[in-house]
Amino acid sequence: MRHWSLPLLALALLLALAPGADAQPKDTLTVALISHAPTLDPHMHFERVGILVNINMFDSLLHKNARLEYEPSLATSWKALNDTTWEFKLRKGVKFHNGDTLTAEDVKFSIERVTEPGKEKKKSPQYGNVRAIKDVRIVDADTIHLVTDKPFPLLLERLVFFPIVPKKHLEKVGDDAFGTTAAVGTGPWKFVEWKRDQYIRLEAFDGHWRGKPAFKHLVIRAIPEVATQIAEIKTGGVDLIRNVSADIAPELKAHAQTYVSSAPILRVHYVELDMRSAPFDKKLVRQAANLAIDKQAIIQRLMGGLGRQVATVVQPPAFGHDPEVQPFPFDPKKAKELLAQAGYPSGVDITLHSAFVEFRPVFEALTQMLTEVGIRTNARMWDPGPAWNKFLQAEGKATNGAYGSWGNYSVFDADAVLHPLFHTEPGGWIGKHYTRVEGLDKLIDEGRSTLNQAARKRTYSQIQKLIREEAPAIYLFTQYDTLAISKRVEYAARGDEWLWLFDAKPKR
Amino acid sequence: MAVGSLPIAYADDIPRLASGSRAWRKFARNPAALTGALILLVVVGAALSAPWITPHDPAKQSLIRRFTPPVWAPGGNAGYLLGTDQVGRDVLSRIIHGARISLLVGVLAVVISVLVGVTLGLISGFVGGRADTVIMTIVDITWSFPQILLALAFVAALGPSLVTVILVLGFTGWERYARVVRAEVLALREKDFIEAARAMGIGSARILVRHVLPNTFSSIVVLSTLQVAQAILQEAALSFLGVGSGRTYPTWGQMIALGRDFVSVAWWLPTFPGLAILATVLAINLVGDRLRDALDPRV
Amino acid sequence: MSAFLVRRLVRLAVVITGVSLVTFAILHASGDPVSLIMPEAPEADRAVLRRTLGLHDPLPVQFARFVGNAVTGNFGKSFFHHGQSASALVLERMPTTLMLTVFSMGVALAIALPVGIYSAVRRGRAVDQLATGTVFLGQSMPVFWTGIMLILLFSVQWRLLPVSGWESWAAVILPTATLSTFTAPLLLRIVRSSMLDVIGLDYVRTARAKGVSEWLVICRHALKNAALPLVTVTGLQFGLLLGGAVITETVFAVPGVGRLIVGAIRQLDFPVVQAGVFMLAMIVVSVNFLVDVLYLYLNPQIRVR
Repeated sequence: MRHWSLPLLALALLLALAPGADAQPKDTLTVALISHAPTLDPHMHFERVGILVNINMFDSLLHKNARLEYEPSLATSWKALNDTTWEFKLRKGVKFHNGDTLTAEDVKFSIERVTEPGKEKKKSPQYGNVRAIKDVRIVDADTIHLVTDKPFPLLLERLVFFPIVPKKHLEKVGDDAFGTTAAVGTGPWKFVEWKRDQYIRLEAFDGHWRGKPAFKHLVIRAIPEVATQIAEIKTGGVDLIRNVSADIAPELKAHAQTYVSSAPILRVHYVELDMRSAPFDKKLVRQAANLAIDKQAIIQRLMGGLGRQVATVVQPPAFGHDPEVQPFPFDPKKAKELLAQAGYPSGVDITLHSAFVEFRPVFEALTQMLTEVGIRTNARMWDPGPAWNKFLQAEGKATNGAYGSWGNYSVFDADAVLHPLFHTEPGGWIGKHYTRVEGLDKLIDEGRSTLNQAARKRTYSQIQKLIREEAPAIYLFTQYDTLAISKRVEYAARGDEWLWLFDAKPKR
Repeated sequence: MAVGSLPIAYADDIPRLASGSRAWRKFARNPAALTGALILLVVVGAALSAPWITPHDPAKQSLIRRFTPPVWAPGGNAGYLLGTDQVGRDVLSRIIHGARISLLVGVLAVVISVLVGVTLGLISGFVGGRADTVIMTIVDITWSFPQILLALAFVAALGPSLVTVILVLGFTGWERYARVVRAEVLALREKDFIEAARAMGIGSARILVRHVLPNTFSSIVVLSTLQVAQAILQEAALSFLGVGSGRTYPTWGQMIALGRDFVSVAWWLPTFPGLAILATVLAINLVGDRLRDALDPRV
Repeated sequence: MSAFLVRRLVRLAVVITGVSLVTFAILHASGDPVSLIMPEAPEADRAVLRRTLGLHDPLPVQFARFVGNAVTGNFGKSFFHHGQSASALVLERMPTTLMLTVFSMGVALAIALPVGIYSAVRRGRAVDQLATGTVFLGQSMPVFWTGIMLILLFSVQWRLLPVSGWESWAAVILPTATLSTFTAPLLLRIVRSSMLDVIGLDYVRTARAKGVSEWLVICRHALKNAALPLVTVTGLQFGLLLGGAVITETVFAVPGVGRLIVGAIRQLDFPVVQAGVFMLAMIVVSVNFLVDVLYLYLNPQIRVR
């Protein structure tokens, strides 16, 4: 039949074009993330999914080990020369993936790539983290000084994720290529291939200064659907998935091919309330909202007990936490009373927003609990991403509040949560839109501008008492990071949510 | 044919009028169609009386009763026949309420499609000439987009809401009616009784309404039935993809999308809403298909 | 014939312009594209975006510019993927989508042809009724749900096939199968009804009467004539198939255009949405055009006219 030869030929052609068979060799470690960051350039995004990839390709000046203690990385030692000047000694003979040797010039270039001294508009979204760095001085080939504009107690924390990139290479290939096809660092794995929204393929870097990682190949797949991630780890399609919910964890724990590893983390859940407009402009309503939530029930029923109730947003392991400040109890009766006192005896309608898709059931439970005391809540769930970010960052109409979480970018300090959530300066995060607490800005500024830790502790204690009373947010709990891992891989969840895969080993 | 946009008209989709009682007998003889009609009756009845027959408030959560399996599975609870979801809501109650959205969207979207499609099809077929060319070009353009894609893009652009979904599905699904009605009109135009009416000096509009439209009626009924099924599937797909009617009301597609994350611990979450869609759409298809056969004297 | 071709070409150009207009309308449907892209952004930021997008110009001017750009494949840069051109992102994924569609079409044909012919020949018998029943079932199942159920059975329960992706042949099977359950009933119906149409015709009867083996008759004569409507209707339904592919891709995380568009819609990445919708529509338009030409070629009656 002549008619059919053409389609057959076309089919054969297509078959030839199709992808080849996929073996999952022993020396490959495959990790699933919900998405890829828009770029591989470690300075040009600020997304957890990007950081988790970047840390395995790039080194920073400092590192933290699994116990979250500082370790030397590209800097072998460091000290504060005075309140505003820090000295770092650089490791000698460190090679970039392209064979170039790391120099002090690269460090200066990397930092100034983000701080962009003299430029009005900064292009890096990480600028806010390191804007205190006023000057980078190259003292000699292995020594640099970082000068801050005022005492900056968080400097070391900020340098744990601040990848150093090769100046010469970057100037040659340009920003765009560096972020897509020509990423080069000094980390344990080097870049091989990126298929956007499919996988990032990395290969062990022979010249890495720590030695070679246990797995030769590292593949980071982007799998947005939770159900697919779970099915993939059960069937051996991936070796590690993050954010395993308490509902799924028991099943993956019992599964023949997988185990679960959890660690308490800084990530604190909250509902930030819009204090600019009714009804949350009234303190009594904000307190009522806090009293309406049965935090223990959520932790026990929805999070499998893997959560820790907090009094404010300051996490217990963070520097500056004051254990004296007590959480709001669960007291729906009192909540209704306060609501009536505030002028809403028959309740009030509000809308809350969230893009915290992994905790959708928690969001639904929160809205129900609020509704039950008379704060009738309409829930609006967003997909995380630029649309949500734009919505969240935008001023405009009052939105009553947002449910979310904050992981401090793994910085163990009260400032790292108080500033973004509650400070109202224009460079701030959501505090600038929502929070209006008299005197709070000044206290937060005070806490971040001295290296005297005792004085800082006093300030943070004062802040926590103030925000416990004023309740600019509904305070909830901190969570655990729960990973599901294939039994052929040995790895443990870290308290900073990092996937530091150099520590991953094949299991026999 | 003015311009050969659709070389073979939907031979499959164009029944001719048969006499009513004979059609009914033909319809009733078919057990599959009767089953379909019965299922449809149950679904419509459930949707209409949802607030009175649901065992629970579809929005009522209970953190203690999360993931209760269906009543026949171990751990099931007679109070929750089809189990509960990730926040302890009753699945059966949500499915019953979901039927309202599905049927509402299905029927209203088709009403819009019929109004637009039939009007344009009549004009195109009867007036012919330039009007025909313009309308058939619009049909071709609409036809060039996968409907679900166009609906997806416009619902996203206009913001998800029930009204948007209905309008978008209605305005992207009309071109079939235009084609079918146009073909019918072209066939009718040459018929004697139309010629006679014209000879008697009866105005075009009157001929259209009095003589042409009733003769296209059976095609429209059959096509509409089948299109309601399509619209229900499209709405479910939109909800599944997360741009449906918003989150204020449970829909089947959305239940499948959300339940999917928990499928390994609660298989019933995506399964039952899916079966609800399957049963409803199947019932409509069976009825529609039989209707086509019954109204078509050729078979 | 050439006059016909010219008419078709003119029409093609008109349709492509119309498709651009609809694609253009996606961004303008809400009235203010900027509020769509930056909901609740400060007015100053919006003004900047309006200027860069040229939204101050009158709509016809904007549309002309859009068409000019669209024809050259320029839809601007993605809002989300840094510095990537929207059409490059779409083109990168197009082969996957086409592969998925063509594969499942092949599978569907492989099922629909024999089953459709057989059930037409044995009309009303058990096989026919079974086939018809399956067609109904297949047409009533939501594609995404079929996909989830197949994953549940073949990947999670029996662990035979990968859950998602497109990196290996094994991964291709489930998405193809899912889309085939959507496609096959459609084709089967067409095969069956067009076979029924020719099977009763005189020359088939004559051939039969001459004692030619029944199956030979079917293959030689009936099938040849049934092929024409099959090709045309399949071509015309191509848009529907692509729509099915869009949903299938989302369920199986297949890195095709559909998944890209769905993702872009969630991120309000409108350049990518427009590029994707436009290019998929262009494929449908070209397939329809080819089918028309093919029909013209295969059907001498029109050629004479």
